Amino acid sequence: MEDKKTEEGWEPKIMAFVCNWCTYAGADLAGTSRMHYSPNVRIVKLPCTGRIDPLFVIKAFENGADGVLVSGCHPGDCHYTSGNYHARRRWIVFKSLMDFVGIHPGRLHFSWVSASEAIKWVDLIDRITEEIKKLGPFMEYRGLKK
Amino acid sequence: MEKELRERARELLESGEVGVVIGYGWNRRKRRTTPVFIRKPEEAERLVFNPLCVNNLSVYLTRKYPDIQKLGRAAIVAKGCDIKNIVVLMAEGQLKRDDVYIIGVRCNGVVYRQELWQGELRPEIMPVKCHNCDVREPHVADTVVGEPVLFTPPEEPVGMVFDKIREIDAMSPEERWQFWMDHFSRCIKCYACRQVCSLCYCERCITEKNMPQWIETSAHPRGNLAWNLIRAMHLAGRCTFCGECERACPVNIPLNIINQKLVLVVKDAFEHRSGYDPDTHPPLIVYDTEDKEDFIK
Amino acid sequence: MEKSLLKKEALQKLIDGVREKGGRFVAPSILARQVVYREVDCADQMVHDYIVPRNSIKEFLFPQTEPILRFRLMREGVEVEDVRVEPERTVFFGVRPCDAASCGAVRKVFTWDYIDQFYTRREDSSVMMTIACTSSDDECFCTTVGVSPEGKEGADLLLKETVDGDYLVEAVTDRGRAFVEEFKDVFTEPDGAELKAVATPEPIEGVNIDNIIGFLKDRSHYNSEIWAELARKCVGCGACTFTCPTCRCFDMVDEGTYIEGERRKNWDSCQFDSFTLHASGHNPRDTQFKRWRNRFMCKFNFYPVKFSARGCVGCGRCIRVCPVRLDITEVMIEVSEAARDV
Repeated sequence: MEDKKTEEGWEPKIMAFVCNWCTYAGADLAGTSRMHYSPNVRIVKLPCTGRIDPLFVIKAFENGADGVLVSGCHPGDCHYTSGNYHARRRWIVFKSLMDFVGIHPGRLHFSWVSASEAIKWVDLIDRITEEIKKLGPFMEYRGLKK
Repeated sequence: MEKELRERARELLESGEVGVVIGYGWNRRKRRTTPVFIRKPEEAERLVFNPLCVNNLSVYLTRKYPDIQKLGRAAIVAKGCDIKNIVVLMAEGQLKRDDVYIIGVRCNGVVYRQELWQGELRPEIMPVKCHNCDVREPHVADTVVGEPVLFTPPEEPVGMVFDKIREIDAMSPEERWQFWMDHFSRCIKCYACRQVCSLCYCERCITEKNMPQWIETSAHPRGNLAWNLIRAMHLAGRCTFCGECERACPVNIPLNIINQKLVLVVKDAFEHRSGYDPDTHPPLIVYDTEDKEDFIK
Repeated sequence: MEKSLLKKEALQKLIDGVREKGGRFVAPSILARQVVYREVDCADQMVHDYIVPRNSIKEFLFPQTEPILRFRLMREGVEVEDVRVEPERTVFFGVRPCDAASCGAVRKVFTWDYIDQFYTRREDSSVMMTIACTSSDDECFCTTVGVSPEGKEGADLLLKETVDGDYLVEAVTDRGRAFVEEFKDVFTEPDGAELKAVATPEPIEGVNIDNIIGFLKDRSHYNSEIWAELARKCVGCGACTFTCPTCRCFDMVDEGTYIEGERRKNWDSCQFDSFTLHASGHNPRDTQFKRWRNRFMCKFNFYPVKFSARGCVGCGRCIRVCPVRLDITEVMIEVSEAARDV
């Protein structure tokens, strides 16, 4: 991914892995409602948060992402009943692991956004983008010899 | 103890109850121990047990070894810590309790590496797991050999691994990153850590999936980081901290630190300790609707 | 000047001299609690009391990962760029005679039907300063496979430690002589210094290399029962092959994005189960003992027979790093015995 410069300076690249049924629909609602939010996020839709392998996050960083967001249905709302509960357990461990190896907690975010929460989505993306902007480009990961 | 061990192995082979006894024997110079596969009653004399018996032999019970499974039902000489791995294999449906005859050995601790042995077991040459061991009396076994061991593990775990975890926890993200990159950059992708682990029993490891290539095979810092993160993640909630991966690592990456960190995370978050109960599901395949989610926005 | 003296105080001057001319100086040094060959810039980083470093010098001549071409997808098609190695001079100091002997063996495969310049250019621009061994351990078995702990094979300069910790230097090759000439202010006149005794491991009793080769060449032994018995405990990690100075198998991978990337040559290991896995799913070496048999066959039959080169130099690394203590010398004894019984 090429870095994009705007008049204000460097713009972060954020990968969002979202579930099909809630967060994607929420983001879609934001779009159809003509709500404005930071264009820094690239969305990848998956059937369920339970399908989001931690490797996806690692691959995103490897390919130059400055931040990653993982988002799905609120507890109890999973289209497949329990996918998000399993995902939540995995995230608890994965987040601790990423913290432990020194990935700044501001670069990896998790959220629940339902199909009707377009406002939450807009607000979330704006906040995350601001936070990652402050952290700057993820040079540690991008600079790894490959 | 060895007399008892050999006696038991001989009986099992004579009666035909097992086809092979997996245990420890001396190497040629009698200075190191090595895994042995005893198939004839008269060979039971080769079995030994002493502080050099560091290997976790449970790896030979996994499906990675079809040729060993062909030898018939196995009996295995196992320390408490090794039994933990057998228990996880049972919990994960890899083994049934009857598939294996466990000869539990009461253990006073082993050496961290066999090269350190100079004829005497001193605390300095023991791994951290031994200093905190609560299974010196084997907890799941068909028979137990050896003298009872009087040892109470400290209430709060002690040892270098725990000190180091606290130290890393206190570091800034940048310092942590530096610490791990220094270590992971040495990785030579020999996968010894995976091969000695009895819980890495996948027939096809994620590193071997190359359509697309998920984990880069080249030994460069980026691919090494991905491998080490995923290895740790795949063992989360399952690792029993037996320490085989770190022992096998030819470049001394402190894998025990990252493994134990996740053991602690899992214990805090899900109150789960792996390797104690074959009937409890591993924590990452189940869930609780009340799991903590303070980090989820 | 065939013989000269290298004072330990002069080592820093030598390192500086080599580095000033754009070279790198590789010597035994401590990294992560073990002695390894690595690049040093200061004499203090070096260690002198070691038996055999954990890694072999092959990683400097045949890197674990190296690009061999670069590609980029353009509108007009694929653009391919060759990678040409222009290696800096590498001075290997403190190489053990077993490691030095391994270079000639590895070179054979890289110069066999095609001259692999990635290897030859690096080796040709290196200077091998071998130090005769003054200590050995249980795992050393060079003498069993015909390598001497004060051997000159593969060395440009053979160094022997004096009791004062200096080195008596003997030039073995023209390259060695030229090196001493180039740095003549570092080397001094030998003054009859007393040498430390060379440590020669006893040849392992019961091993007969000719019998082993004979046994391995006889194809009826390929499916012998003994292989499973001897190698059942192998767990299939690649530690032995990666630390072995004469193992040189590699794999090619393309890494990068769909738009641009590199083709890389990476170390591979015959101990990995995917090493011989066919696209059809069939694997001729489907169990671990067969993979281990292959390693043994390669060391004592395939490689020496095909290339008239050493398959094994007896450094003992594979024994030291093996997590299950699968000792190649014990297998050598067993196979020698089996050969006698035939």
